[in-house]
Amino acid sequence: MITAVQKPFDEISEMVKGHDKLLILGCGSCVTVCMAGGEKEVGILASTLRLFNKQNNISMEIIEDTIERQCDREFFDAVKDKILRADAVLSMACGAGVQFCAEVFEGKRVLPALNTRFYGATEQQGIWSECCAGCGSCVLDKFGGICPIARCSKSLLNGPCGGSQEGKCEVDPENIDCGWQLIYDRMKSLGLLHKLEENEPINDWSTGRDGGPGKIIREDMVL
Amino acid sequence: MREKKKIIAFCCENSSLKAAYAVTDQSILDAIEIIRLPCSGKAEIGLVLKCFENGHPGVLILGCPVDNCKYLTGNVRARKRVGMVKKALREAGIDENRVQMDFISSVDSHKFMNIVKEMEERLAPTAR
Ligand code: SF4
Ligand code: SF4
Repeated sequence: MITAVQKPFDEISEMVKGHDKLLILGCGSCVTVCMAGGEKEVGILASTLRLFNKQNNISMEIIEDTIERQCDREFFDAVKDKILRADAVLSMACGAGVQFCAEVFEGKRVLPALNTRFYGATEQQGIWSECCAGCGSCVLDKFGGICPIARCSKSLLNGPCGGSQEGKCEVDPENIDCGWQLIYDRMKSLGLLHKLEENEPINDWSTGRDGGPGKIIREDMVL
Repeated sequence: MREKKKIIAFCCENSSLKAAYAVTDQSILDAIEIIRLPCSGKAEIGLVLKCFENGHPGVLILGCPVDNCKYLTGNVRARKRVGMVKKALREAGIDENRVQMDFISSVDSHKFMNIVKEMEERLAPTAR
């Protein structure tokens, strides 16, 4: 899923200032799972903002709603009227959802309530961690299913740097496991350590960020 | 005249609710609106904030003593949620002590009364 965290409240209250009618719009998929922008979080943010506005004599009507996804056009139908009537939409989706909402409702001010973080998995309840960098040329087959690009702080492809100590990464030994230690341990348990002796060529980053904004076109699906 | 809003007391039915039933002082019971919960862990952050939005001056979340929750960790989770409510209140510019978590056993009606009394007195100067 795409993970995100809520922006600091000060930043949000400053951002929405001056709008008389605000729709706080949640997303029912990724950010619901990582508890940043689903129906519950919409309710909490709306209540906090209403209380803040009351304390500061700010008059603002705040409406709440959540749709299944904000990155697919059809789901906006259910809230079309609410969006059109609002002065601004405070989107609690990831950056893709915020941008797509603004694209679907041209001329509407759409503001981000979240900071989008990474593609990750639920490590345990309440803890999410980064797994994939969306690089566009998956190498997981070569590294025992652990991504050196996303999980090594330096995205090293040919073994660890000198900063790997007791399984921890020098970048933040308290919080980051060394990705290469994880790869080594996994390959060992799979009996595939010899595979790590193969040289990994310089990566072609053009399928990722270096190639500019990505686009996928499925000719058989295009209308 | 607008109805005077009461302190909301979210009571776990396994402990504090039983303590509340044993309270005989009517003035204490008149000061609060009891909401029965199967566990204090059921007091959602949004729900508690809604109480403040609706004009209630204070909210009590009263769970079982620590290590004595029927659902093992519901009360400890409630305490963490109360922390989140306090954070939201601070952000909104409201006194965070308007929400309070306490742990009460089913036989502790005295403690129950004291908690309500203390919050009532504390909130007395604020407009209801
Ligand atoms: S808008 Fe973002 S958070 Fe919502 S479903 Fe799409 S990718 Fe996930
Ligand atoms: S310590 Fe490990 S994870 Fe950190 S940069 Fe070096 S190899 Fe990568």
